[in-house]
Amino acid sequence: MSADANFQPKIVVFACENSGWLAAEHAASLGLSYPERVELIKLPCSGKIDVIYFMKALEKSDGTMIMACQQENCKFLKGNVRAAQRVRQTQNLLKEIGIEEDRVGIFYLAANMGHKFVEIVQNFYDKMRELGPNPGKVIK
Amino acid sequence: MIIAERKPIDEILGFLSKHQKVLVLGCGGCVTVCLAGGEKEVGILGSELAMARSKEGRPLEVVQKTIERQCDFEYLEGIRHIVKDVDAILSLACGIGIQTCAEAFPDKIVWPGVNTKFLGVNLNVGVWAERCQACGQCVLDKTGGICPVARCSKSIFNGPCGGSQNGKCEVDPDTDCAWALIHDRLARLGEVDSLREIMAIKDWSFSRDGGPRKLVREDLELESGK
Repeated sequence: MSADANFQPKIVVFACENSGWLAAEHAASLGLSYPERVELIKLPCSGKIDVIYFMKALEKSDGTMIMACQQENCKFLKGNVRAAQRVRQTQNLLKEIGIEEDRVGIFYLAANMGHKFVEIVQNFYDKMRELGPNPGKVIK
Repeated sequence: MIIAERKPIDEILGFLSKHQKVLVLGCGGCVTVCLAGGEKEVGILGSELAMARSKEGRPLEVVQKTIERQCDFEYLEGIRHIVKDVDAILSLACGIGIQTCAEAFPDKIVWPGVNTKFLGVNLNVGVWAERCQACGQCVLDKTGGICPVARCSKSIFNGPCGGSQNGKCEVDPDTDCAWALIHDRLARLGEVDSLREIMAIKDWSFSRDGGPRKLVREDLELESGK
């Protein structure tokens, strides 16, 4: 657990508009809540994510993730596979400079999984609270 | 194109250890195509450097810019106003671009951000292979368009050597024997008999043996000499 008990991580969530984004809307329609310091960014497909987006997100946040469609269920066939590859590439870059690779992740869900969306965000948020502030954060 | 590979991050961080503000300068030419030093790589490396230094508690201000080509002085001239405000430049161009940059800005430290590897071709995503050594006297007309200088491990003419086994090179079993490729291609073209002609010993004076090379085409020179 982070030394600062009041630490509230900032998280950037990239969401595929065919799954993660719709799941977030589903969660909202159900009146479910999740931590407020979570920024959602809609992508046309998880395959649109790139290492540079993750890195720019990590310059100003404590953790970042991509929410992709279930495996083998990408509308564009391989978007979620490519997204997973870019998560690994970003993790390698973080490892190079001594930053926890768990600060970036990929999670799979479907459009009608509002509860799952909140669970993923909350678990990731809790994980970032455990890790503490991103030591590499550039924009404080 | 020229193939390059980004240097290890620790080496780059070492270069920049004494600086507070650097320009990470990309090139829109070959290094963009081989994913080593284009606009995207500048952005990724810029983030990585800024985060690494932030983690150390010694913030680094990273200015990011990618120009059309670093091997042409006119494009470098366009960033002079940016260069004057930074401590140093980290160039992600090939060795040519890095040197041109250093020549254009003689009062500024220019660090290399990539290792320039070879002149090659993109075979697959993430896979490049050498195709030319810029030896200065092309023999592709005699070898079916396959270069024995760059693609034979021993750069021999009139091959293959005794180390060619099943079309592979004895130096590296993953490397095709250039002379097996040459033979097969000429056979396919019905030109295999041309291999009976013995190629003369290569004149290496057109290559590096004569020192750094320079090409002057007087037909292109303008009155100003530029």
